[in-house]
Amino acid sequence: MDQLNCKTVFEVPVLGGISESVVVTWIIMAVLVIASILLTRNLKVENPGKIQLLLESGISWTNDFFEGILGKSNRRYIPYLTTVLIYLGVSNTIGLFGFKPPTKDLNVTAALAIMSMCLIEFSGIYKNGVKHWMKHFAKPVAIVAPIMVLEIFIRPLSLCMRLFGNILAGFVVMELIKAFVPLIVPIPLSFYFDIFDGLIQAYVFVFLTALFMTEEME
Amino acid sequence: MLQFNLNFLYTIINLIVLVFLLKKFLIKPVTNVMEKRKEMIEDGFRKAKEAENDAMDLKKQYTDALSGAREESARIMAQAQKDARAEYDKVMQKASEDAGSLMESAKANIRMEQEQSMNALQSQIAGLAMSAAQKIVEEKSGQVKDNQKIYDEFLEEVGEDVHGSDTEK
Repeated sequence: MDQLNCKTVFEVPVLGGISESVVVTWIIMAVLVIASILLTRNLKVENPGKIQLLLESGISWTNDFFEGILGKSNRRYIPYLTTVLIYLGVSNTIGLFGFKPPTKDLNVTAALAIMSMCLIEFSGIYKNGVKHWMKHFAKPVAIVAPIMVLEIFIRPLSLCMRLFGNILAGFVVMELIKAFVPLIVPIPLSFYFDIFDGLIQAYVFVFLTALFMTEEME
Repeated sequence: MLQFNLNFLYTIINLIVLVFLLKKFLIKPVTNVMEKRKEMIEDGFRKAKEAENDAMDLKKQYTDALSGAREESARIMAQAQKDARAEYDKVMQKASEDAGSLMESAKANIRMEQEQSMNALQSQIAGLAMSAAQKIVEEKSGQVKDNQKIYDEFLEEVGEDVHGSDTEK
C-alpha cells in the first residue's frame, strides 16, 4: 500500500509539496533533453550514421503517423503530439528502472488530458473560427447540444482515466507479483505490463488526441 | 493515491517546457536534416532530368543534322551526275558538230583543190596544145628540126610545168 501513494518528496515554501511524479518527470525531461542533444550532435545530410538513421526513421514515422491523421495543413500540432508520445512512452516504461511511473499519478494524467482538451478545442476554433465552433454543438440537431457540450469534458476525462487506470493497474499487478513470486515469473509479465501496455497506452493517448482534433477541425 | 493538488499545475508547466526543449533539440534538427536530404535528392533528380533532356535535344539535333547532310550529299551527287551528263552530252554534241563541220570543210577544200587542179590542168593542157600547135606551125614554116628534139623540148616543157605546179601546191 505504501508503494501506491505518491509521496511528497520535498516541500517548497510557497509552491507547496512537490510530489514524486513531478520529480520523476524532471528526471525524464533531463534524460530526454540530454539524449537529444547527444544524439543530434553531428547530424549529416550525407552518409548518416546508424544512430541518425534510427532517429530519422523514428521522427519520420511519427511525422507520417500524425500527418496521416491530421492532414498536411495541420503540421504545427505534430511536435506537441510527438513530445507527448515520447514522454508517455518513457514514463510508462520507467518502472523497469525502479522509478514509479509518473502516469500512475492522477495529477499527471489529468494534466495531460487537460492539455489535450485545450489543444482539441483550440485546433477547432483556430481552423474554423469561434462562430463555427459555437454552432457545431447543435449539429446534426439542436437537441444533442448538451451531449456535445458534455463531450468536451468527457473526452479528456476518458483519456485521463484510461491512462491512469492502465498504468496504475499494471503497477499494482507487478508489485503484487513481485511480492509473491520474486523470481523469474515477473520477467514475462513485466514485458507485458511495463513495456507492451505502457507503449500501447502512450500510442492510444496521442492517437485519440489527434483523432479528436481532426474531428473538431472538420 | 487519488489526491488532486498543485502538482497538476507543475506537470502542465513541465510538459510545456518539455515540448519546447524537445522541439528545439530533437525534432527541429532531425527534421531539418531530413528536409535537406530530401531537397538534395530532389535537386539531384531534377539535375539528372535536365541533363537527360539536354542529351536528348543534342541527339535530336545531331540526327537532324546527319539526315540533312545525307540528303544534301545525295542531292549534290545527283546534281553532279546530271551536270556531268549534260556537260558530256554538250561536249559530245559539240565534238560531233566540229567533226562534221571539219569534214565538210575538208570535203569543200578537197573539192576546191580538185577544181583548182582541174583548172590548172585544163589551162596547162591548153598551153601545151597551144605550144604543140606552135611547134607544128614552126616546123611547117621551115625551121626544120629533128623530130626527136621536138619531142624532147615538148616533154621538158611539160615536165617543168608539171613540176612547177606540184611545188606550187
